[in-house]
This record gives sequence, C-alpha cells and structure tokens, in this order.
Amino acid sequence: MKGMSLIVKTITNIIIGFIFIYGLYIILHGHLTPGGGFAGGVIIAGAFVVRFLAFGSEMSSEKKLSKTASVFESIGGLLFIGIAILGLFLAGTFFLNFLPKGTPLHLWSAGIIPFCNIAIGIKVGAGLFSIFLALAAIKYVMEE
Amino acid sequence: MIIFASCIILFLIGLYAIVTKRNLIKIAIGFALIEYSVNLLFALIGFRRDALAPIITQLNVPHKFVDPIPQALVLTAIVIALGTTALMLTVILRIYNRYKTFDIAEIKKLRG
Repeated sequence: MKGMSLIVKTITNIIIGFIFIYGLYIILHGHLTPGGGFAGGVIIAGAFVVRFLAFGSEMSSEKKLSKTASVFESIGGLLFIGIAILGLFLAGTFFLNFLPKGTPLHLWSAGIIPFCNIAIGIKVGAGLFSIFLALAAIKYVMEE
Repeated sequence: MIIFASCIILFLIGLYAIVTKRNLIKIAIGFALIEYSVNLLFALIGFRRDALAPIITQLNVPHKFVDPIPQALVLTAIVIALGTTALMLTVILRIYNRYKTFDIAEIKKLRG
C-alpha cells in the first residue's frame, strides 16, 4: 500500500505522539474517570492506523506488522489471566484484589484495577489494529 | 415515554434497511442501526430524575446517582457489536472477491 505526500507524513509524525499519550492517560485513569481499558485501547489503535495510512508499506510490510500485533495481543491476554491467577496463589481466591487499596481518588489506589486496565488496553489496541490490517491492507488472492 | 418510542422507531428503520435493500453494504448498515437502537434503549432505562452521573469525584457523596449497571452492560454489548460487524464485513469482502458485485440478486450461483 502506497504512502501519502510529504506534508501528510510530517504532520503525522508530530500528531501520533499526542494521540498515544492521550490514549495512555485514558487507560491509566480508568478507576477515577470514565473510560478505562477498552476506550483507551481504541484510541491507541487509532494512532497506529493513522501511522499506517500515512506511511504505507514503506516502513514495514503488512505481514510483519500483522505478526507483531498478534504477539502483543497474546501478551495482553496472558497478563490479564496472570494477574487473576496471582490472586489465586497469593491470597486464596481467584481474581481477589490483593494489592493495597490506598486512599480513594488518588492515582495509586484500587488494588489490581489499573493493571487490569493496562492489560485490556494492550489487547484491544493490538486486536483492533489487526482487524484494520485484515480488512484494508492485506491483498487477497483472487480464486479463478 | 417519547424517548423509548423513538428508540423503537430507530429499530424499525434498521429492520426496513435489512429487509428491503439489495446492496450488501446497506444491509450491514441496517444491522448497525439495530444494534445502536438496542444499546440506547438499554442505557436510557437507568435514568432517575434530578440525579448526577455515577462518578465519585469528592469524598462526601451526593445523594442521588443514575443507575450505573445498565451502562456497564451496554459497554459489553458495544464490544460484541464491534466483533460481529467486523466478521460480517470480512464475509462481504470475500463475496465481492468471488462474484465481483454487491447486488444480492446476482449472487445466486452456489458452486461447490
């Protein structure tokens, strides 16, 4: 897939940093403000989609990007189930909130909920990027 | 009462698009309209009069909140709608690659 003109590439280089930081903010403050893992993951996938649309396949081919997205999706899923099983081994119940709860309305509070939000954000971002690649970028072989 | 009736009207518009149209993409848009109307109706059921959004921002809690449980269920329903829409569009792409048309009146040769 071809990239776009030089002006689009320069502006995209500036803007995807801001989009990524905004998605990370929505993920990390999931226990204080609306949003959380799923909404932040969608915004992070948006940053990757904009980068792929502006640069095309010049930076890395579609197959390599698809394999990398699949690896990150598996990492997100394993992290989420790892936190749940860690609750089983350290405290006795599956998915128990075993970290200290802290003071309410601070960033370091609510036990394991921020880490679960981060795992969901990674998985949703990688999954949506793979859906975009499968629908729009990978060429299909025509059957005769 | 009028809000619930307009959600049902949106559902009927989506149903009309699925049943009547001949283009495959318009049928997919009809499915999306049906999913939007059902999610909206379900989230509107938890409304309480003179109540705030269910987010705690200070430690002395105000007295009335809107019901947050339908909002949590609708979040899951939106994710499910995303998955089924992606799968439906992939099947439509495969049909286009095979028959070179989006018209359902011409896709009738079932080959093995």
